Amino acid sequence: MSALNIFLYEWKHFTRNPFKIVAVLLFIVAGIYGLHNGYKLYQNHTTEIEKIQEKIEPEKQKYLTQYEEGKLTDENRPWIDMSTPFWAIWNTPTYHLKTPSPAMVYSIGQAEQYGFYKRVTFWASPYDADMAEEIANPERLQTGTLDFAFVLLFLTPLLLLILLYNLKSAEAEQGFLPLIEVQTVSKNSWLLARTLFYVLLTALVIICLLVYGSVLTNAFNTAKDAFGQTLLYSLLYLIFWSVVYFFILKYGNSILGNTLQMVGIWLLFAFIIPAIVHQNISIAKPANLMTDFIEVRDKQQDLYADDSLFQQKLIDLFPEIENSPVYQDSTKINFARNRSASALVNELKKESIQPIVEESQAKNDFIQATYWFNPITFFQNKLNSIAQTHYNDYQAYRNEIQALIDKRTAVLVKELWNEVKVDKEKYLEYDQELNHIE
Amino acid sequence: MWNIFKNEWLYYSRTPWLLGTSVGFVLVLIFSIVLGNYQTKKQSERYKTAKNELRAQWGSIDAMNPHGAAHYGTYVFKPANLLSSLDEGVNSITGNVLRVEGHVQNEIVHSEASQMQSVSKFGKLKSSLLLQYLVPILLIFLAFRSISSEKQSGRLKLLVLQGVKPLSLVLGKTLSICLYGIGLLAITVLAYSLFNLTDLNSEVLGRTALFFISYSFYYFIITGLTVFFSARWENPTIALTSMLGIWIIWTIFLPNILMSSVEKWHELPSRNEFKSAMKEDRSKGLDGHNPSDERKEELEARVLKDYGVDSLSQLPINFDGIVMQEDEEYGNKVWDKHFGELRSVLAKQKKSYQLGGFVNPFISLQNASMGFAGNDNLHHQEYLVQVENYRRVFIKMLNDKHAFGGSKTGDWGWKADNDFFKSVPAFEYQPTVLASVFPHYRIDLLFLAVWSVFVIGLMIFGIGKMQVL
Repeated sequence: MSALNIFLYEWKHFTRNPFKIVAVLLFIVAGIYGLHNGYKLYQNHTTEIEKIQEKIEPEKQKYLTQYEEGKLTDENRPWIDMSTPFWAIWNTPTYHLKTPSPAMVYSIGQAEQYGFYKRVTFWASPYDADMAEEIANPERLQTGTLDFAFVLLFLTPLLLLILLYNLKSAEAEQGFLPLIEVQTVSKNSWLLARTLFYVLLTALVIICLLVYGSVLTNAFNTAKDAFGQTLLYSLLYLIFWSVVYFFILKYGNSILGNTLQMVGIWLLFAFIIPAIVHQNISIAKPANLMTDFIEVRDKQQDLYADDSLFQQKLIDLFPEIENSPVYQDSTKINFARNRSASALVNELKKESIQPIVEESQAKNDFIQATYWFNPITFFQNKLNSIAQTHYNDYQAYRNEIQALIDKRTAVLVKELWNEVKVDKEKYLEYDQELNHIE
Repeated sequence: MWNIFKNEWLYYSRTPWLLGTSVGFVLVLIFSIVLGNYQTKKQSERYKTAKNELRAQWGSIDAMNPHGAAHYGTYVFKPANLLSSLDEGVNSITGNVLRVEGHVQNEIVHSEASQMQSVSKFGKLKSSLLLQYLVPILLIFLAFRSISSEKQSGRLKLLVLQGVKPLSLVLGKTLSICLYGIGLLAITVLAYSLFNLTDLNSEVLGRTALFFISYSFYYFIITGLTVFFSARWENPTIALTSMLGIWIIWTIFLPNILMSSVEKWHELPSRNEFKSAMKEDRSKGLDGHNPSDERKEELEARVLKDYGVDSLSQLPINFDGIVMQEDEEYGNKVWDKHFGELRSVLAKQKKSYQLGGFVNPFISLQNASMGFAGNDNLHHQEYLVQVENYRRVFIKMLNDKHAFGGSKTGDWGWKADNDFFKSVPAFEYQPTVLASVFPHYRIDLLFLAVWSVFVIGLMIFGIGKMQVL
């Protein structure tokens, strides 16, 4: 019997089995639902970012008008002087936004656990409270969103299980197996061809779902690489389960035994192993309560209390200010020093963040070390990475925010100590410089 | 029925694979309790260290202007709950750190989940994971052939001829398999109680008892349905695949779909909208730092009249402290309005989701489990309310000191001493008492009970169509 004949018989078998058809249909419905959930989040992020961008321009325009009209102070707040670098930079709206990738349609990943827009100020930090997740129901976050990645990772093995569970064992239980051995070249190639039929059917369904997802966010055109990689990893994942199940079918001869083994392996990989790994991390490294970050408050107070230490730290950080005009003028030095405080506090915050980042990295290293026996976590993180919804993507976003804060405080100190007078052109220069990461 | 029950247990005790599986399950369940307890202990240690550190920082303030201290503020941390080793609920998703300061009600941040990459979609190895997902699967595997195997072997005819009623047979099989699940549950609860013997009190025991009852109901529903399918269908594979299908729909599909749907029915604002709306409402009121505000002028006139003086400099108190407290009072109204609306939407979402228990008993089980373990969103919101109430007392003490502590208006250099800062109480979390929240979970227990009755009804009215001969 040729492979084509086996395929044709299997097609007949499949179309006459309502249980299998319903399973495939349910899988498709879940896939479409998951893709729409990903698309909805993509849209929400895009809309929110647009709203923020709309707010920036009028704010900037307000200050530009002030420069044009020469109204550089506020009647109600006379201490504000827009001709000084401090207030000009203070009032230069700078937002850093994490634009969602069109591939988010495939994997929401950790996108709901972090903020994706941040106003950068002198006193900002990538670990500020406004970097927390969007307002959401914690029970919903705990249950998780049914996205395409969830369907792929958790339901594909179940679909395969339903499609394959009785292959060979049904014939064995009914006593047809010797007859089939006579009719086919080899029992294994017959089983392989039958398995391949369902694997190809599942692959086709997955590909169709991926294409449908790409239509929603135009991922195929705007994120071609991400589409290609998602396809590649989806197929690799499918092959992984197909191989596991094939060997169960090959060596098993009863429907019940095969089903038990298939369900058992699925439970092991989907529930037990990831849960044990998760539990171990929580024991080895309990949730960080950010006390290092909180301690910055006290270090800040200590710094303020000692003028000479404050000045020395400032010079260490910005040696060029020793040659600035303000540094030579003892009447102005105190004022400039006080206004430069945010630059030193920023350094304190960076120092305090370092161990927190390192602890998170250690947790990630621990998880990655389990990939060889924890395939679902591996594929989950791979898909998150492709969709730019992985922890590392948000860490990179935090690093970019930090770079913008560094730049802001550095520009402030440089301009402040050189007594730069700010006009409209200079303000526009700040706007350009402070909004771009080099 | 007793004989059927006895025979079933005799069969279990003589089935090597079941004995092996049972031993494995019991070990994993106990292991999960041990790990869960150890994790709670480690988290509690970290919590205590952080709490003491923060209190020591506050207590070491030598001298500071009270308003400066309000900006300096403090932090509170979410303590680990003793019942977390049974069901962690939303704890790894919600934040752990909350800043308490003047002028603003902050949100809790720095969740455990945000501190690392994805690991497990279904959470840590807690008893709830095993009891909610794996034990029901085991019960399905035990039950799906319970009646059909009797039919196939011909024993069913024999039993009926001996006078056994089909309903008694189905009920007997159901109860014996269900009791197996309840046995695993009892071992879990017992192990939990033994490992936490010194911390047990009526509150924990009450919660654990309700936790036990909820799971017992669910195991009866799962077992009863599977035995019923086994009785109705000749082919055991159909009973197995149908129950696996139901299990997938109940535990994987519906909770996700329903949760997403309730968020659409009762929509939460985006953070940007929420903050903007609060800022807008706040700006309508008195800005503590804005001297030109009209409300400040009204307040000033009122205070001057009360003290019978003509100017702020004649006041025996510091008017700035009064301004700050007035601003706080107004801010509190704004927070109450917006955070109140948020809590109200979350409560509506929870209620709608709980109604899902009508079509899916797993939803009722999940709600009851994390609710009775004290780790659902309801308990989390109670915690946040307690922190906010503390913040109000904390800031009022500082503002009152600023106003009436001995300084005069405009004297921002005045400082309160260390004794005062030490006298400001630390935040002490009072765990939510079961009696106060129990009414919220009545619906979950009710649905579980209704489902159990439905399953019994299925047996009574559906078993008549079972082919015996």
